[in-house]
Amino acid sequence: MEALIIKATEDTPEIIFDPENEVFEISNVSLPENAIEFYAPVLDWLKKYMKNPLPKTVFNFNIEYLNTASSKQIFELIFLIDKINEHSDVLIRWHYDAIDEDMKSLGVRFTHLVKVKFELVEYEKDEEEEEDDFEF
Amino acid sequence: MRQTTKRSLKLTYDLFSRVKTGDFEYIYRGAFTQNLTRKILSLAESNLQRFVDKSSLQNRIYFIMVEGLQNVTRHQEPTNDSKSEHAGIFAIQKVENRYIITTGNTIVNTKVDSLKQRLEKVNNLDREELKKLHREILSTGELSDKGGAGLGLIEMARRSGNRLTFDFEYIDLYWSYFYLQTEIPSRTYARDAAEELEESNAMRDIKHLNHILDKKDILLNFNGSFNQNNILSLLSIIKGQMRVNKSAKKVYYIMVEMLQNISKHGNFHEENTDGNPGIFYLGQTEDEYVLTSGNYIPNEYVADVKERLDIINDMDSNELNEYFNKILLDQNVIDPKKTGLGFVDMRLKSSRKIAYDFKEIDDKYSFFTLQTSVQIN
Repeated sequence: MEALIIKATEDTPEIIFDPENEVFEISNVSLPENAIEFYAPVLDWLKKYMKNPLPKTVFNFNIEYLNTASSKQIFELIFLIDKINEHSDVLIRWHYDAIDEDMKSLGVRFTHLVKVKFELVEYEKDEEEEEDDFEF
Repeated sequence: MRQTTKRSLKLTYDLFSRVKTGDFEYIYRGAFTQNLTRKILSLAESNLQRFVDKSSLQNRIYFIMVEGLQNVTRHQEPTNDSKSEHAGIFAIQKVENRYIITTGNTIVNTKVDSLKQRLEKVNNLDREELKKLHREILSTGELSDKGGAGLGLIEMARRSGNRLTFDFEYIDLYWSYFYLQTEIPSRTYARDAAEELEESNAMRDIKHLNHILDKKDILLNFNGSFNQNNILSLLSIIKGQMRVNKSAKKVYYIMVEMLQNISKHGNFHEENTDGNPGIFYLGQTEDEYVLTSGNYIPNEYVADVKERLDIINDMDSNELNEYFNKILLDQNVIDPKKTGLGFVDMRLKSSRKIAYDFKEIDDKYSFFTLQTSVQIN
């Protein structure tokens, strides 16, 4: 099956769903005005993938910021992934910044709503990456 | 749980109605850094591109903004206290076909006289004389201790084609506050009395506004049309300016919801060609960040939105979480924007009630103000 590759923009995430290389990842920010439109092709791709998934799939969600409209669509993705999980071995790795308690709790929320295995992965941003700014 | 008083919400419409539809006003107050300057410029640039057709005019406005911002960054005196009356200010206002750029920063009283003299000198020169002075300074290479030599002021006057309007406000024995204002495009060189008056009004206006914003601890105020481009620029300013911590993340998330609410729903009399008119400002008190947005809403929606807000405000955190899950699981809800999910999310992230106000504007529209806050930790 052909890979789905969507490049990141200022307000939409990078998406790489690549069965051949076994990479399934959503990263960067998700703040589109129209989340339904943005995620429609992603959901379509997953519905096709569902018919013939790899024996084992690991989905990495590594999102820095998302709006509520996106969180509904991300859940739609997870809902489909949960179905893939009925026929094959699936793991969702939910990455979140250690200081971002809301991204963590969204991950926790999802674990309560679906059966697929979830791994919450906390990371700490390298301070060096931050720019030269200070507080107001 | 803290309730924000209704009275403070009246300010939102007062601030909003200062700016006519199609115009904009953008103000930043606080400490200025190089990185912040870049972001302010990118926001201003994206607004200018939408309004200014001629790129030569765009370039002149851009130049004056850069020069003004660099002045503030370079000359902001390192005061040891963090009194907000010492905060630097940058403002760009579009008033019909005029663009007014104002910067403000503290200056030690002992430097006031010499700066005043330099400004007056620049204002008394005509175009040719300014050009000559500019060349002279460049060739003699005389630089002030801040590396400026007053070249910036000369260039600002040359590019705007107008006098520089300025004002010094006494703060205390040691400090004054220096306002510098430039207007583009240029007026006729011999200005009439009405133009003189307008100029001093513009200065009085921004000083008055700065005092109000100071009293309310407002750091950032954007008043104009909201579209995705502006929103992303505003967000990048916040992201760049706040130390990355728990509260900053929450401010960012809530801002996204508030700003996108305006751009999605806040249309007014079908004039929604390039974003919706609205206002957003961010304030900071000792222990919390206060976020406020205002936009138009059709009168027929007011009762529904009010009811939804009341229901959501009455929920405790368990109920909020259950409601959130219900929306996620409900396959009939394709687009969650009419479910109040954004409000629920705001309540969960801020752990505060949402303060709101509706003010009827005409037989079709009301002005809808929304306010919440995030604890600083």
